[in-house]
Amino acid sequence: MIEVKNLTFSYSKDKQALHGLDFTVEDGEIFGFLGPNGSGKSTTQKILTGILKGHGGRVSLFGQDISAAHTQAFFQKIGVLFEFPYLYANLSAVDNLKYFSSFYPREQLRRIEEVLEELEFKPDFFKKPVSSYSKGMRQRASMARALISNPKLLFLDEPTSGLDPSGAVLFRKIIEKERKKGTTVFLTTHNMLDADLLCDRVAFMADGEIKALDTPGNLKERNSNHRVIINYLYQGRREEKTIEAPELKTGIPFAHDEIISIHSQEPTLEDMFIQYTGRGLS
Amino acid sequence: MWKSLCALLKKDCRMMVSGKFFLMSLGFLVLYTLYVNFGYIRFMDASLYNVYLYDPAGTQATVSPLIQRVSSKEALDAVLLDDTNGVGIDASAGKPRLVFYEGTEQADRHRADYALSLLQPSGNGRAQVVGSNTPEQKARKEITCELLFFEIAAVGFLGIAAVLFKEKSMGVIRVHAILPLQKNLFLLSKLVIFLLSDLVFAILLTVLNVGLRDTASILPGVLLQTALLSLIMALTGLICALLLKDFRQFTLAYLLIAIFVATPVFLSANTAVKLDWISFHPFYHIYMGLKNAYFGTPSKSVVYYPGCVAAIAVLLAGVQRVFRREMKKEG
Repeated sequence: MIEVKNLTFSYSKDKQALHGLDFTVEDGEIFGFLGPNGSGKSTTQKILTGILKGHGGRVSLFGQDISAAHTQAFFQKIGVLFEFPYLYANLSAVDNLKYFSSFYPREQLRRIEEVLEELEFKPDFFKKPVSSYSKGMRQRASMARALISNPKLLFLDEPTSGLDPSGAVLFRKIIEKERKKGTTVFLTTHNMLDADLLCDRVAFMADGEIKALDTPGNLKERNSNHRVIINYLYQGRREEKTIEAPELKTGIPFAHDEIISIHSQEPTLEDMFIQYTGRGLS
Repeated sequence: MWKSLCALLKKDCRMMVSGKFFLMSLGFLVLYTLYVNFGYIRFMDASLYNVYLYDPAGTQATVSPLIQRVSSKEALDAVLLDDTNGVGIDASAGKPRLVFYEGTEQADRHRADYALSLLQPSGNGRAQVVGSNTPEQKARKEITCELLFFEIAAVGFLGIAAVLFKEKSMGVIRVHAILPLQKNLFLLSKLVIFLLSDLVFAILLTVLNVGLRDTASILPGVLLQTALLSLIMALTGLICALLLKDFRQFTLAYLLIAIFVATPVFLSANTAVKLDWISFHPFYHIYMGLKNAYFGTPSKSVVYYPGCVAAIAVLLAGVQRVFRREMKKEG
């Protein structure tokens, strides 16, 4: 779906934003692009969506070189959720969706009410102006705008930002549903939980370079110390012991009366990010 | 393309309705019409100036019968005290000297020229007839032209900037970068809607204040000049709105435009203030183009229309450039 080879981009002569990125995104994959502010995530997404021109290297989307790809037919196949919910504040969610969907072929469009209902949008607000919506509702209306055209490739920038926990869970379900339909998702995020739960593969970006690229599981496993911490009760006393994970093959290898909890010492995706990039996600 | 343009036009119309743009234009139309019909025309409906001559030695041989002679300097002063619109000519020293009781000679050239012309009624100079307008019709055309110029150059310009600032602050311009539409249609839609709105305003203002019969003969010329001014102002408004950070910054730019663009043009065209450099001021030529159109006189300048088209082309290129820059911006 997306093939990027030696992608470079400079905003000015002395400000190179991207230093030779290489990655591919397969059809139907959820690909996570993680990095702190200023790492080059947005620049990459803008190049892929045709907003920024003048890059170096080779980029192809839908099997076509990017320079020829940014036609109206290309924009019909993609959906983009921006970091901020950009909507006409004086129009309702329905009117916003009617307006934005009017640029796509009718046969490609989903029903507005169906999309809003899927996003658990309160029906009372369907026809109220966006200016009266909460941040979460604006984000839902924005997501509806990205989904209304049944895109084959979905660019999502911080999709769960501004949502309460149940909203974030709902969005993850919807993204999963899109993947099942065969939609490819390019997810740009700071949120490690989203990346961990959703992405088939993630790329860690820092200083305009990809520092690591693999599945979240592999990244964590590769750097795991394979230890577990066991909390247990023995002779009335609460104790804690750290053992090597393979030792568990034959059961708990020490005397105990009751096991309270077992914690694997596998690193989190955030730990991995810090390890690879030398900094946190802020 | 047509479907996209229709969707954009419909949306822009809604933006203008919600921004009360049409209501504001209607308000200005009513206000201008009331001012012209119940204020300006009545105020300007002055009778001919009386001209009084004190010429004890009879130095002025060929005076018009419209001149009234007085017998003494005291009598001249007394009559001008009574008739303050009148013009006195004191020729007691041989050379005619003008006497006013209101205004000064510098600021009242019309009265001075008229009075002096009556001293040589049979001179070689013959007045050229430049039109068949009655004084009232002339006054109506002049004030309608001024109000239309002001409306498009100042009020309409403010309107387009206000609409675009709204869209800019909502961030929706960036969404159009990833929609399947030709990006220039976004600008074209705005230009079309503001142009149409200005043309409708020009028609209504002219019909209401100049009259239906006269409007029919001058309308094509007026609409052409209105279209040129409207496009130049709309494109300038778009550039300012896209370049400047917020509406507060825009109001400063607006003040500069109002002071340095409109004021010299009005001063030069409507008062006795003489500005030697005014012929280098592009808006003076646009204003005169509109004024000539109201009096059915086509522009004779060979550079006027190519100049307008070139200005529109340069501004359009500038708008496209800043528009593309705006689409690339982040939150």
